[in-house]
Amino acid sequence: MQRNRWRWLCLALMGAALAVFGAGCGDDEEGGGGTPKADVKKFPAGTTLGKIQQEGVITIGVKYDVPPFGFKNPQSNKVEGFDVDLGQAVADALGVKPKFIEAVSDNRIPFLKDGTADLILSTMTINAERVGEIGFSDPYYIARGRVLVKDDSDIKGVADLAGKGVCTALGSTYEENLKKQAPKAELKLVDSYSECLELIQNGAVEAVSTDDVILTGMIIQDDSLKLVGEELTQEPYGAGIKKGDKQMVDFVNEVFSAYKQDGRWPKAYDRWVGRYTGQKAQPPTISVEEGVKLTQ
Amino acid sequence: MPLALIDVLSDHLSEFSSGFWVTVRLVVVSFAIAMTVGTLVAALRIAPSPWLQRLGGVYVEVFRNVPLLVLLFISFAGLRRGGLDISAWVAGTASLGLYTAAYVAEALRSGVFSVGKGQIEASLSLGFTYGQTLRRIVLPQAFRTVISPLGSLTIAMIKNSAIIGVSLLALPDLLKQARIVQSRTFQTDEAFFWAAVGYLLLTGAVTLAIRNLERRFEIRR
Repeated sequence: MQRNRWRWLCLALMGAALAVFGAGCGDDEEGGGGTPKADVKKFPAGTTLGKIQQEGVITIGVKYDVPPFGFKNPQSNKVEGFDVDLGQAVADALGVKPKFIEAVSDNRIPFLKDGTADLILSTMTINAERVGEIGFSDPYYIARGRVLVKDDSDIKGVADLAGKGVCTALGSTYEENLKKQAPKAELKLVDSYSECLELIQNGAVEAVSTDDVILTGMIIQDDSLKLVGEELTQEPYGAGIKKGDKQMVDFVNEVFSAYKQDGRWPKAYDRWVGRYTGQKAQPPTISVEEGVKLTQ
Repeated sequence: MPLALIDVLSDHLSEFSSGFWVTVRLVVVSFAIAMTVGTLVAALRIAPSPWLQRLGGVYVEVFRNVPLLVLLFISFAGLRRGGLDISAWVAGTASLGLYTAAYVAEALRSGVFSVGKGQIEASLSLGFTYGQTLRRIVLPQAFRTVISPLGSLTIAMIKNSAIIGVSLLALPDLLKQARIVQSRTFQTDEAFFWAAVGYLLLTGAVTLAIRNLERRFEIRR
């Protein structure tokens, strides 16, 4: 009898634990059929945009761990950031609801190819190799490649990275860039930048190299880190679109150019980037081709 | 298409082969740890003292019930944050080895229990000591029954080693190198096809070795 009671108590405790965990991961995706507003352009049913309007949802791949561009706010459980604002603008212009899914550096191009995502807004640099694989919008932001180290590090720039552990994301442009600029660095290639943050905090690597905005996001989370050295590269960000979908590229460009001209761009910049760096910026006005040249 | 398949391999042979050897090294070291620790834990599990049995039981339950990925996080990020300067290699092989050891211990224990109690009693009554009984009567028979399960565990361990490369440890093993090739060439099917071939070479070799052992220790009926 005594033994039985313990068994029930155990089961009850396990059940309670499950209930607590279960409540923690409630439904967190926005989506569902939205009704297109009257003032949006309607697209014919056979096209990609027409299909999106019919379904009422556009699926947009963003980063979940890269403040201030795309990150999941642990309090509200919503994805926020510069890329998310842009995605919202595209969805609004189509009169549909955005559904944000997580796209890491390594899977975002496959996501476009297999149709998992309609649009990718995940701090993606426009470069020559990628232009052969997917379509790009005009650049909506230009980031700069930098090196992040701990406050007490003696690394002063990319030249000091030889023999040091350096973290960056698998499938990012830095994998190639670092091989060129710091051939003797020991690269740790991980799936997401939050892993790089963990690795530099626990001392497994001595530096992280990627776009300044992503690194700034890490400093926001841990102020014992700092940026060093000159900029390694310029990284024009573009929205990724399935290869050959000219209608979608034109449409996104239209939305972006309105966004850049009507004052929404500087507002978003201030809200997500300027607030932390104290800088002001103008929206980029270059084309995809000029963007590719910047990265060469 | 078949041409593209061969191109991906010949263009990235150095990546694939370095990844293959990293995986081989991971697997060999982890296998040694798994067998040594597994045997020790199995010895605890069948020891005459109930306290030692319980100790072995705790080991098995802990390492068998924690997912390998969680073990990797604890042994690397966790211990490093705790101030222990552990390398990704040590954390990876130790986690995979200790994790597999729990399964090895259970396989060995069930092998020992497969030898009938009557044989042990007969052996003891004939004047063999407990140690002699174990060494001369029980273990030779137990070994024969555990060859096949140990082979399955080794194959599972080879496949589990792929988790080390995709985890925070980011060791450049076969799967990691395939993913690097994939991210550079965008040729997903081709890159992972060759990774699968690499794992198949390893598991195939183990399968052959197991068959050979089984044949050698076969009971002639």
